[in-house]
Amino acid sequence: MALGFAIGVFGVLILFHAAYSTIQYRGLLKITEEEFSGPPFNVIITLSSLNLLTMMRFLLSNLWFLGSQVVTELSLGLVLCMWAALTVPGKFLSIHPDSEENRIVSLPANVDFMIFNHRGKVFPVEMDLKLKQ
Amino acid sequence: MAVHSESGSQEKKSGNGLNELLTFNAENMQNNMKIIYYSRTFLSIIGGVVAGILGFTGLKGFVFYLLLMAVTSVGLVAKAKFSIPTYFDSWNRVLLDGFLGGLMSFVLFWTYPSLMKYDNISEV
Repeated sequence: MALGFAIGVFGVLILFHAAYSTIQYRGLLKITEEEFSGPPFNVIITLSSLNLLTMMRFLLSNLWFLGSQVVTELSLGLVLCMWAALTVPGKFLSIHPDSEENRIVSLPANVDFMIFNHRGKVFPVEMDLKLKQ
Repeated sequence: MAVHSESGSQEKKSGNGLNELLTFNAENMQNNMKIIYYSRTFLSIIGGVVAGILGFTGLKGFVFYLLLMAVTSVGLVAKAKFSIPTYFDSWNRVLLDGFLGGLMSFVLFWTYPSLMKYDNISEV
């Protein structure tokens, strides 16, 4: 769990670094007096990982320049954050009441008041009960 | 000796929709919903920052968010090992829950990278 958290933090840091690089790049563009229209073409390509082609073409239509370093960073950061977001919050628990891990067989806390010499001894003994740890 | 005992943690509730059992463990259901909510919110924020860095404006940003949420849904279904009835009572919960809440966070963080280039934020 700590590993997943660390990977998530690492992914966020990568994104921050990419943001900083982009800001520096925009400063450079200001110096050369060009217009900023988007991150480098590489960034976009790597960021898109789905096969919805029309959406992709739409998103990529005017994004064609940003450093390749920012691209790789953005894509790597996004993948790491995606993995962390799906792993860190915890496992899914089964909601079936009769599944194996949802057993509620347990001993009562006050064993001093338990007696066994009562009329329940005529019932058949269930041999498959398990103590839940 | 092991005995059956009713503990407060299992509250039986009627299910509907795809759940063929009429009752389910509500505490585990809540845990699963919490996991989905955390995952979607975190990825909405990260997606917002990425959209801001990429310079998406207008419709492109929302398309990017749609894409991101679709990938998240696929990831959540894979996390549930593709057997949704084991962990949820309907498909709508895992596919659509948290969609609009994440949208608000996405738009908020989408604006932040464009503010980072200013030395004095009060001038924006």
